[in-house]
Formats: sequence, C-alpha cells, structure tokens
Amino acid sequence: MFQFTRFIGLAIKNLRRRMIRTALTISGVALAVAVAVSLGGFMLGYKGAIDKSIEMLGFQVMIMAKGCPYEAATMMLKGGTGLIYLPSDTYDKVKSDPDIESITPIFVGIAQKEGSGIRDEASQEKSFTIISGIDAPSFMTMKPWMKFKGGPGFEGGRWFSAGSKDEVVIGFEAAEYEQRKVGDIFYASITPAGSMTPVRHEFKVVGILERTGTQDDGTVFMPIDTAREYFNRPNQLTILGIKLKEFNQFKMHEFESRWLKLPEVQVVGLQQVKNTLVALVATAQTMIAAVAAIAVIVALIGVINTILMSVYERTGEIGIMKALGARRRDIFELIWLETLVICLLGALLGCLLAMLGTGAVEKAIKSLANLGVNGSIVNITPGVLGYAVLGAVILGFLGGLYPAWRAASMRPVDAIREGAV
Amino acid sequence: MIIEGHGLKRYYQRGVETVKALDGVDIAIKQGEMVSILGPSGSGKTTLINLLSCLDAPTEGTLFVAGKSVAGLSEDQLVEVRRGTLGFVFQQFHLLPTLTVTENVELPLLFLMRKPNPARTGEVLAMVGLGDRAGHRPNELSGGQMQRVAIARALIMDSKILVADEPTGNLDRASGEAIFQLFRKLVKEKGLTIIITTHNTTFGYEADRVITLEDGKIIKEENSWCARRDSNS
Repeated sequence: MFQFTRFIGLAIKNLRRRMIRTALTISGVALAVAVAVSLGGFMLGYKGAIDKSIEMLGFQVMIMAKGCPYEAATMMLKGGTGLIYLPSDTYDKVKSDPDIESITPIFVGIAQKEGSGIRDEASQEKSFTIISGIDAPSFMTMKPWMKFKGGPGFEGGRWFSAGSKDEVVIGFEAAEYEQRKVGDIFYASITPAGSMTPVRHEFKVVGILERTGTQDDGTVFMPIDTAREYFNRPNQLTILGIKLKEFNQFKMHEFESRWLKLPEVQVVGLQQVKNTLVALVATAQTMIAAVAAIAVIVALIGVINTILMSVYERTGEIGIMKALGARRRDIFELIWLETLVICLLGALLGCLLAMLGTGAVEKAIKSLANLGVNGSIVNITPGVLGYAVLGAVILGFLGGLYPAWRAASMRPVDAIREGAV
Repeated sequence: MIIEGHGLKRYYQRGVETVKALDGVDIAIKQGEMVSILGPSGSGKTTLINLLSCLDAPTEGTLFVAGKSVAGLSEDQLVEVRRGTLGFVFQQFHLLPTLTVTENVELPLLFLMRKPNPARTGEVLAMVGLGDRAGHRPNELSGGQMQRVAIARALIMDSKILVADEPTGNLDRASGEAIFQLFRKLVKEKGLTIIITTHNTTFGYEADRVITLEDGKIIKEENSWCARRDSNS
C-alpha cells in the first residue's frame, strides 16, 4: 500500500524549487482541463437546452412547407429568416385528423423596428423582431405555462381579442429590450409581400408575458389574421403545431404517411429534429473533443517532461536518498506524487477557469453558430467537474509512471557519480 | 570485526576491455576504528568504499558488514543492510535546497518510517557545531557547514558506520581540518566506525589506520603513527 501522505510535504517542496517551470506545467494542465470541462458542460448543457426548448414548444409534430425541415425547426426554436409558407387551407384539411389532440396554426414574420425602440433611437441602427401571428385559444392549449407578468405597469395583461388589428402581446425579453409596459404603444415596420417598402404600424401592448426561457421571450404576438394581412399573405401560414393523442414512433409514422400525400407539406417530428440537431452538434463536438484530447496529451507530455527534467537534475540527490535508506518504492512514490500534485493542482485550477469562463464560452459559441436554442447551453455540473479532476488524476498516475520508474531504477552508485558531475 | 572482506574483486566491462577496478582485496575493520583509504585517482578507492558501504556488490569475494554476508545480494537487499547501519557523506553535499538544515538532517527518517525527534535532531546538530543554524537553508551556509549538515544527516539514523568519500574535496584547508577533528570526536565519543577516502595524505593520517591502494590492490597498510613518521622522514 502506498503511503503518499508520508512524502507530500517533500514532493511539494521539490516542485517549489523550480517555481516558474512548475507553474507553467500546472497552467498547461489547467488549460487542457478547462477546455475539457467547458466541452463537457457544453455537451450536457446543449442537450438539456434542446430538450427544454422542444418541450416548451408545446407540440410534438410540425407540419410545414417543404424545404429543409431542420432549418425550419431551428427557426421555430430560435428565430431566423428565409421563411417559407404553407397554404392556409392545409389547416382545414389536417385539423380533422382523428389522432390529433390539439392543433394550432402559426404565422411567423420578421418586422423591422426602425425608430421604434428606445435603444434603437439612441444607436440609429435598424433591428428586427419576430412577429408571431397566433390563434390565442389553441396556442394557449399548447403552452398552458405561459402567464402574464404582474406588478406595477404590467397589471391587467391579457391576450388580444381575435381579429383585433392593433393589439400585441410581447414576450418578456422583447418587452425589456423595448422598455414597454401594458398600455404602451409598440411600433413595427412590416414589408408586405410583393412590396419593397415597409409600412409602419402602431400597436397597443395589451400584455407582457412572464419569462419562459424560450424563443417566445423575444417574440411579439399578434392575431394570426392581422399578421397575415400586414405581411400580405392572407392565405398562408408558417407551421401547424400539433399534439397527438398518443405519441409514439408508430403513431407518428402513421400520421406522417397520411399527410405526406399533400404535395406542398412535410411532417416533422420534434424528437427527430432534436436527434438531428444533437447529432449535428455532436459532429462539431467530436472535433472539439479531438482538440481537447490533443490539449490533454500535450499537457501530459509537458508534465512528463517537467518531472523527467526534475529527476535528471536531482540524480545526485536521488542517489543520496537511496544511499541513506530510501527503497525503490520510496523514490517511485515520491516522484509519482510530484506528478499527481501537478495534475491535481492543474485540474482544480482548470475547473475554476472553466467555471469563471462559462459566460464567455457560451457567448463565443452562440456568436459562432446558430444552435437552435435559447437559454444556457453550457451546464457545468459537479459531475462534470468530478470527472475532469478524476481524469486528470488518472492521467497523472499514468504520466508519472515512467519518470518515477526511471528515478526508482537508478543505482545509487551511478546516481551519486552522475550527480557529482 | 564490523566489516570483513576477503578476495574482493570488482570488474567492469568497458566495450571489449575488462577494467579491474578492484583486484583481490582483503580488508578487516574493527568497531570504533577510523580508517583512511589513500591512493591516486583510479586506484580503486571509491570502488572499495562503495563495496564496503553496500552501495555496490563485488564481482567476486566474500564480504560481511555488521555480521551479514552481503556478497551477491540484490540492490533491494543491499538497501535493507544499509538502512540504519550505514551513514554517508560525499564530496558533493547533496542537500535539498528547499529544506532547512533540520529538515535535511531528518530526511533519512522519512525513509526509515521513523518520527523525527526534535531533541535528538538538536543534539546531532549541536554535535556537529550547527546548533544555531537549524532553521537556515543550505544556500545560507558555507561549504564546511554544508558538509557538517551532511554528517549530521548521516548521524541521525544512529548508524554504526559512517562512510565518507572525499569529504573534504570541496572544502578549504581549515574547513577540512575541522571536519576531520569532528570525525575523531565521533569515533572517540560515540564509538563510530568511520571509513574515509581522501587524496589528502595529511588528513588521511588523522585516521587510526591508513590503507593505500594502487591499481585496485592494497599496496600498503599501516597504523597512522607509522604513516605520519614515514611521511615526515
């Protein structure tokens, strides 16, 4: 049984002899661990964020116009441009399907907020907002968790009356960004289909929603007919959100087969979308993991190099220690322990760096790619940190083997002679 | 006899050539005796002292250290013989620079799994004249003081035998004399057996007995008063 504690003080003092070298080696391990932890947190967080975003859509199946289903799904989850539309009579055809528990039509459009928002006025820049035209009663059946914000300035929040042309409900973040309260005016410039000139519309804010952590927080809701009229797409809609009475692979397949016969539509299961999004990101994650693995290997080589150099520098001392009664095992433990201390300190520092850098990593990932989700996509859990520390310790064990064996194998006579040169 | 060797040989292979570093040495050392091994470079002094101190094993011959036969033992077995029996002092002091004098002296106890006893450490440091340097680091000491720390490190284990290979090689004359006076004191007061190799004949004659080597063989063995007389004549 190894008695590491016996040598811990000596190991730390040995490492302090070359402070800069030790610090650099620890930094190398820390960076590798920070990358690994961030990656682990991203893998975990992204999957959780996708799950949450899809669950918060409220429906299991979408019917939409033919095109890339994943782009469309991402648009529904996160927002985006390049919208394609369905004929609105698709709704009438599909709604009578016996397997449907509930169905809601949604029209999505992008409006320009030029000159409307307070921040926009200050910066003199154009910005855009997602307009979601909905049928409030069926939409709320899908998303019963949506609540109106209360408190001063937000009292009396309600859904717009069907067919009203000047009422909107604003998501939490959009309201904060625009600094709107219930009763305020909201301006949006909408470019009707077939025209190049945006038309400015004035709406009354009748409700501000509580935060949901989804794309709905950044959306402005209005009656579907109003949206269709202003976007000049009276007979079109973007998607049909559907909740099936019984949702499983078999039922989904049956449903899909029934409606794929319509030439202009595609049926997309959100589970399928989720799997595809996760798989797409997993490819990128594999590449990042490969980079992380290289960083870990480079750090490990750095550790082995540092400890080997230290062993060579201390050849004479090791010889003396052996002459004074140190067994091979004692020297092995001492050198191995030095490796472990470096890896453990590096791992702890790396975990700290990863935790402190979560925000920056998240911002960087989101700025580089549209991952199709809102909310936090990096979730560093105690489990991830634990695995990182454990991994570093295991690597330390492995990396320390050769230098420790090398030191332990020195013959005292040779070591003392070499150390005297 | 605390050390007794007969027909000790140590051969090395250097390419196709066999180097006879030690070629049939008979030696016997009594408990409480101070023995100097003299001889020019390459005469086999260090090889002999390495065998006598169980740092190396003879190619041929029989060797008993503290009553144990050590010829043919493996390196691990030699460690067991050394532990607590033999203390070492070398030309290079090999003190750990990040440890204090006290920590350096107590280092062997770590390997012997013995708990340091501050009173005992203080006593050993006082014995070598470093009672007031306990908290200092090696870079704050002179060469002579560092060698004294190395001696204290060898003494802390209560070894019966102290082996010193060129202990004054890196010291000035005054420091070298002081080290040899300390050795004499240790033999006289503690009954320690001390074996020393040295180039310096003046220091070598401070021992009870002087063994002179040449080409791996003992060419002369005499009591120190005889050696001193011959040296003066």
